[in-house]
Amino acid sequence: MQEQFKNALEFSNYRQTLSVQRKTLKEKNEARLTFGHNGGIFKIDRSLLNFVELLINKGRHENVVLLDINDNPILIENLQEFSGDIFDRYFTATNEYYEEYQKIKKSRSVEKLIEA
Amino acid sequence: MNCGIVIFAHNNRQIDYVKLSMISALLAKKNLDKPVSLITDPSTADWMKESKVFEKAAKIFDKIIITQRPESGNNRLYRDGKDKIAAPFNNTNRDNVWYLTPYERTLLIDSDYIILSDVLNEYWNVDSSFLISNTYKDILGDHRIGYLDKNVSETGVKLLWATTIMFTKNQESKVLFDLVDYIKENYKQFSDTYRFNPSMFRNDIAFSIANHILYGWEDSNDYTLPSVLSSPDIDFLYDVKEKLKFIMLANDGDSYITCSIQNKDLHIMNKQSLLRNYDKIMEQL
Repeated sequence: MQEQFKNALEFSNYRQTLSVQRKTLKEKNEARLTFGHNGGIFKIDRSLLNFVELLINKGRHENVVLLDINDNPILIENLQEFSGDIFDRYFTATNEYYEEYQKIKKSRSVEKLIEA
Repeated sequence: MNCGIVIFAHNNRQIDYVKLSMISALLAKKNLDKPVSLITDPSTADWMKESKVFEKAAKIFDKIIITQRPESGNNRLYRDGKDKIAAPFNNTNRDNVWYLTPYERTLLIDSDYIILSDVLNEYWNVDSSFLISNTYKDILGDHRIGYLDKNVSETGVKLLWATTIMFTKNQESKVLFDLVDYIKENYKQFSDTYRFNPSMFRNDIAFSIANHILYGWEDSNDYTLPSVLSSPDIDFLYDVKEKLKFIMLANDGDSYITCSIQNKDLHIMNKQSLLRNYDKIMEQL
């Protein structure tokens, strides 16, 4: 019984560390998806990516006003370039997130989680 | 615009703030690629010369600015995990940064704030004269965050975290820094109005109240800096592995939870444990 309890405590430690590591990764990803442009701050998410793509498809390429995280109007002089920047950032951040997430997912002990 | 980072360091007999600043400055330079200046006082500068770190510091810092040592009416408990020591906390001249900074746009950081990412670079051109973080995050999660980590007092005025401040040197920001100075000089009086404990001066509280007043006695809804991910001083920095991976032991009541932080800015409040890892960090910088 004592052995079972010890195992349970070890597993509990592992789960706590796993939970903290996952939360830290999530926050790291959110921070990486913050994008400053022309005096404003944007959160790169699916909604922004889709909207920018839609505007480009509608032929709006220059001097487009977008609302940033504070709903302030920000002039985007070159929307194609802006789109390229936010897509790049999105894929870089999410790919890193994925790789780091896979590493901790495969780690089965506190020691391995920390090394991941 | 001429941009740079500023760190204050006023040593006391227990904590070597200069060494902390050197760690913090090298990491900030590495990740943000901006010059870093140190603001210190004559006695700390003398100690730097005596302990032969002045030359090293002169190479790290863009400028070493000597100012008057603030009055040390502030005594605080420095925790080192379960141990604690009392020492003077010379933090009451932070508002002077407006006058002392050599930069037009300044990022002011605490000496125990470890910049491990380039996230703050997104904020240099934000259209706001003054930016501060309004969110505290704990490395273990929300269950260790209390009401007074989010609010100045029961009045519900939102607490801002002066661990990171970015400002442009202009008249708008001057009004704010001058108001912080006024609040500091009348701290007891403001504590009656805002109902906080005045026993120790806290920059976080002074900046929160100043911001609250300047926004018409309301919480600001302006731009803010990213949340301050923090490890309180009941935790330990246990080790620093390759590629600047910080291994933390986070106090969770009776036990410690191990976790690692890499490429994410971190406020390590246990200064002694940060200093114990000084050599390991410096080797990698």
